[in-house]
Amino acid sequence: MRVTLLIAWREYMENVKTKGFWIGVLLVPIVFFLIFHVSSRLATATPTRYYLLIDQSGEYAQAVETAIRREHQRRIMQDFMRYLQENRLDADAASFRAEPSSQLNQLLDNFDNDEVAALDQWLVSGGLDYALTMAQPYLRDDAPEFTEPRPQFVAATLPPEVDPEADAQDIVEQLRPYLNGERRINVDGDSASLFALVLIPEDVDQDIVRPATIQGLMTPDAGPRGVQYWAGNLTDTRLSGAIQNSINSAIRQQEYASQGIDIAAVRDVQRTRLPLSRLDPGKEAGEEAVSLADTFRQWAPMGFVYLIFISLMQSVQYLLSNTIEEKSNRIIEVLLASVTPGELMMGKLLGIGITGITTILAWIVSFFVFIRLYQTVETAMIVQVLDVLLSSDLIPYFVFYYLCCYALYAGIFLAIGSLCNTLKEAQSLMMPLMAVLVVPILTMSFIAQDPNGTLARVMSWIPLFTPFTMMNRAAAQPPMVDVIGTTIVLVLTTAAVLWLSGRVFRQGILRSGQPPRVIELWRMVRRSAS
Amino acid sequence: MSAPILELTDVTKRYGDFTAVNKINISIPQGSVYGFLGPNGAGKTTTIRMILDILRPDEGQIQVLGASSAMKVRDRIGYLPEEKGLYKKMKVWAIIAYFATLKGMNRRQAKDKAYALLEKYGLHDFANASVESLSKGMGQKVQVLSSIAHDPELVILDEPFSGLDPVNQEVLEQLIRDLSANGQTVIFSTHVMQHAERLCERLLLITQGSKVFDGTVDEARAIIPRRIVLETRDNISPIRSLDGVLSVQEHPVDDDTRLPGTRQWELYVKEQTDPQLILQHCFESGVSLSRFDFTQASLHDVFVHLVGQEAREHNFR
Repeated sequence: MRVTLLIAWREYMENVKTKGFWIGVLLVPIVFFLIFHVSSRLATATPTRYYLLIDQSGEYAQAVETAIRREHQRRIMQDFMRYLQENRLDADAASFRAEPSSQLNQLLDNFDNDEVAALDQWLVSGGLDYALTMAQPYLRDDAPEFTEPRPQFVAATLPPEVDPEADAQDIVEQLRPYLNGERRINVDGDSASLFALVLIPEDVDQDIVRPATIQGLMTPDAGPRGVQYWAGNLTDTRLSGAIQNSINSAIRQQEYASQGIDIAAVRDVQRTRLPLSRLDPGKEAGEEAVSLADTFRQWAPMGFVYLIFISLMQSVQYLLSNTIEEKSNRIIEVLLASVTPGELMMGKLLGIGITGITTILAWIVSFFVFIRLYQTVETAMIVQVLDVLLSSDLIPYFVFYYLCCYALYAGIFLAIGSLCNTLKEAQSLMMPLMAVLVVPILTMSFIAQDPNGTLARVMSWIPLFTPFTMMNRAAAQPPMVDVIGTTIVLVLTTAAVLWLSGRVFRQGILRSGQPPRVIELWRMVRRSAS
Repeated sequence: MSAPILELTDVTKRYGDFTAVNKINISIPQGSVYGFLGPNGAGKTTTIRMILDILRPDEGQIQVLGASSAMKVRDRIGYLPEEKGLYKKMKVWAIIAYFATLKGMNRRQAKDKAYALLEKYGLHDFANASVESLSKGMGQKVQVLSSIAHDPELVILDEPFSGLDPVNQEVLEQLIRDLSANGQTVIFSTHVMQHAERLCERLLLITQGSKVFDGTVDEARAIIPRRIVLETRDNISPIRSLDGVLSVQEHPVDDDTRLPGTRQWELYVKEQTDPQLILQHCFESGVSLSRFDFTQASLHDVFVHLVGQEAREHNFR
């Protein structure tokens, strides 16, 4: 036992000194930082797009401009709501709902329930100026100034040489250098690159598609139909989408009017809805409503499966590379004169296992530190979710399946490592095992959706998949027979694998030359039995 | 004589049809320096691995320090394997201390001992260097030190001299003498007969898995009859018939500076025959000599004599 611990300690200390370990440990905090910090910066950093709108029909320019303004107001409102939630006097997300109703809460409630209505109200009340005045008394003293988001789309002035009344073809030809980036357009005295040209031809109404004229689409037509959207960047579809939506809604309003339907009534009808309550039959009466936390709890096991998988992948690297280092550097022989192969193997399993656990703990700690440092709406939600998680029975499941999974696969990978002299040899032996390991990852979301279905139940009984599958099912109260049965099979298999690996390890560790074929492997297992 | 520290009885190891070690019997007394000699592939390393219980013999018994398995007394044995290697990223002192702690020393003692050994054998400046920064020879020295740091009663060194420059070979010879002076038993294997000749009290010579010689260096030398080479133009029959002369062979003279008619003879003489007597007889019988060489057989000659042919065949098989 003493030497096993010594080996484990050395193994651990050497792993902790490697670059790979620190990359693994720092990966999660870096990813968190990127997700919550850089991505929000990136979103605000999206450049303002300048477009030209030439409406020869004279019918739609107003609608488009209104729609784009409205979209900008919606973004302001959205940012403001977020700003408000983060900087309220009482930023505790759980308790502010209980406060007596105020205009502020009214606004927030509206925003949560019906964004369209909230936006209407926002615009009617006077937009940001009104909201800022109203919110001022409720903001914390140290609240930062609210910064308005930059407009995403700004209409540019038409270059003087272009005649908006000219033939559509000519306009496009004249503006082509601007669209290609060869020339820059003038915007309030500054030059900017033209993002898109929206050209609404005079006879655009002829191209309106109605159910009755749907066959018209089928006839091959040489020229472009409807509104022409010219842009070099076709991946950013926000502007084209906004234009299409605004024009279509304008056309529909015309249609309603022409058919004598009250537009206001239609608008109301369109916003009519019936909520759907998601209820859980497994819960106490009165508490059946499925909350966000409940939903999260159903999906949380998938996160744990990932965690097991990633940690296992990291440990596998250490198991293989450290064993192969000892083999290829011939350290193994000195070790075997001091310790038994069994002690060596257990020491390695232990040392590398603790390395894996250290990494996971480091992730968890950095996660908590992160939540403390970045108090935003999202992290407030994560805190809520964590409470749910910690109070659930998922953690013991995770600990158990993590350890079993590690012991099971580590045994196999150690045996592989003991048979190979180079990482290259090991990789070819690892291939089949890697293919096996991909299966639980591929089936993960299917199992999460149908945790007690046939696929989930069958996979649970295959020991190599048991830890992943049962972890994935943990939140769905799997039948007792599955829980107990698969646990027994898993524990027995793990014990058998470790025992067999010990035999292969004992024989393989002094081998040199090519990795053995299957039949040799069998002989090795039998030989070490004698 | 005290009880043997190591005793092998009819130890045999086979790999399939190939017999790597065939019924080896040896008994090594405490405090001796014992050499394992033999050509490549003779079974030295396999024998050593069996002594250490890294491999199990198929037949026979091994008694190490009074135990039936080296594993039971592993803390009292030090081992340097033939193929040397260390953890590349570890510091020099740490690796010596690590192996010593595996052998039961506590951390504090092991660290002190590591520094003391590095100081004693001229590696003090490298104590905090990482192993990968060392030259091959230095690495080997570090490994030798790591095998003896826990003051083992029995030290087994497999080819300790290979890869060392002459200066470091001397350092290592001195280290082996120090161990022996300290009452520790040293077994080492080597190809280089000079080391064995200088260090060993007893030798084991094996070839193709079988023991061909086990005894003192003097006993080994006695295996080859003593040799006298003489060159003369005269008839040597008076000498041929002398009592101590076992056999006579003629060799061609390849030196042009000799007088025409000179012939070279090689006389094999009995162990106790005094070469002075032969020389005296030559004078008395009027045999005029142009050359008279008397050579004591070296261990090298013994080695080649005992295993030469087999070793050549084996290596080119």
